[in-house]
Amino acid sequence: MSAPLLELSDVSLGYRGVAVLSGVSLRIEAGEFVALVGPNGAGKTTLLRGMLGLVPVLAGRVAWGFDRSTSPPGYVPQRDSLDPIFPLTAYEVVLMGTYAALPPLRPIGARRKRLASQCLEQVGLDGLARRPYWELSGGQKQRVLIARALAAEPQILFLDEPTAGVDREAEAAIIALIAAQNRQHGMTVALVSHHLGRIQSEVRSVIVVDDGQVEKLSAADLAARRGDELSPWRRGVDVV
Amino acid sequence: MSTLSTILSSDFLLRDALIGSVLVGLICPLVGVYFILRRMIFLGVALPQVSAAGIAFTFMVYRLFVGPHPEAAVGERLLGLIGSGVFTTAATLGLALMEGSSRERIEARIGATYALAAAVTILFLAKDPHGDAEIVGLLKGDILATTSASLSTMSWVFGGVLLVLIACQRQLLLVSFDRDLAIVFGRRVLVWDIILYLLIGAVISLGVMSAGPLATFGFLVIPPLTVRLITGRMLSFMLGSAALGGATAFGGFFCAYRYDLPLAPAEVALASALLLAVGTLTGLRRALQRRQAV
Repeated sequence: MSAPLLELSDVSLGYRGVAVLSGVSLRIEAGEFVALVGPNGAGKTTLLRGMLGLVPVLAGRVAWGFDRSTSPPGYVPQRDSLDPIFPLTAYEVVLMGTYAALPPLRPIGARRKRLASQCLEQVGLDGLARRPYWELSGGQKQRVLIARALAAEPQILFLDEPTAGVDREAEAAIIALIAAQNRQHGMTVALVSHHLGRIQSEVRSVIVVDDGQVEKLSAADLAARRGDELSPWRRGVDVV
Repeated sequence: MSTLSTILSSDFLLRDALIGSVLVGLICPLVGVYFILRRMIFLGVALPQVSAAGIAFTFMVYRLFVGPHPEAAVGERLLGLIGSGVFTTAATLGLALMEGSSRERIEARIGATYALAAAVTILFLAKDPHGDAEIVGLLKGDILATTSASLSTMSWVFGGVLLVLIACQRQLLLVSFDRDLAIVFGRRVLVWDIILYLLIGAVISLGVMSAGPLATFGFLVIPPLTVRLITGRMLSFMLGSAALGGATAFGGFFCAYRYDLPLAPAEVALASALLLAVGTLTGLRRALQRRQAV
């Protein structure tokens, strides 16, 4: 078996010393498309943020299969976590993604500016580059944040509910965009979602988070365990 | 016109004061934009008050344990600058360590800090057995007493702050806009917070010593608030705020000189009038756009 891109070994995650999730062990392989699903408040976002180092690891070990300092992961937060008071254009938001590998005092340079433009083009929003970010629709904002994550040139892309609060059409476009990154560019993707049904055809595996337990299922396991066997995990999870 | 040509002439008696005032007007908004962006406007009131408390404390301690403070203006200002700098730096470092706490908790602490600083400023002055109008004048900010030496200090400090702000602008923006992304990118966010707050502390210490808490707070907050209403880009927000601050400082100085008004209130009143005008025009334009859309 090849070395995983990310491996959690008996990890406990929590806040102020109190564990929200305990004993989590799982691996994410290169090129995988994995969805983190489960009911509201189960700890999906905590798990994703724990993988990224945004929630303290209280016990266990999170190991990366690559050097995070030179190639940080791409991260798409929930778009409502960003404050509309910042006067930024769509392009300026995407450009921020190129800061990943930019030493603090080094100028941005033409290559990174080109990269930001290309990423914006990749998500189909190059025509809106100069528009204020806050004037964009929910779906457009989400695509800008995906472009920003791509501008970091990551090996793995983490997305926290990328389709929350957008209409069906925008949701389909966002899922297609993420799936294309995985299929065409081989990018590893891990995303939090409430609606497994809408992404099930794209994902290769699912991490189910419920009642403090975390279980990783492959697409084959998922198909085999449909019906009553999945019932403990099904609350709030739209398994088709 | 004659007032303007008098002010602009090279042998104008208050030339250093005018330059100092414009420098404060230019630099305060550049750090003030971060108060607006981080939604910590009240910090702009609290920190100048902490700085004032530092000045009063230094004078009280000096008078109580050493004797009358240096009469010469430079010594007096240096003494005040030390007190102001130490208090403001301590307060800003405390605030940097609080980042990551809930917004409500931070605002509550800033409010308590302001109340405490205002109270102890008065108590320190009351306990100063030789308290006099000179010190009160310094606390209010006596930009008219600016000398070439203090102007030189101001230029060096503000120049240094400007250079660091330009060099670190991207990282400070990243940490302010999306703290989580900065952490994912491996940035030491606490270090960047400390850098930002030290810059803020340096500007406020010198601003309060030179122009007083009122003008410093006014320039920290009002020009960025005004420019934010009309810009959608970060660069124009920062440069516009600095330019408006500088222009308001000059305009305020002109009005104060022309109509024999106290300088700081004239500057803040002018900046507020501009904010009101821009806010009204922006509101009218939006209402018109909404009506056209219907």
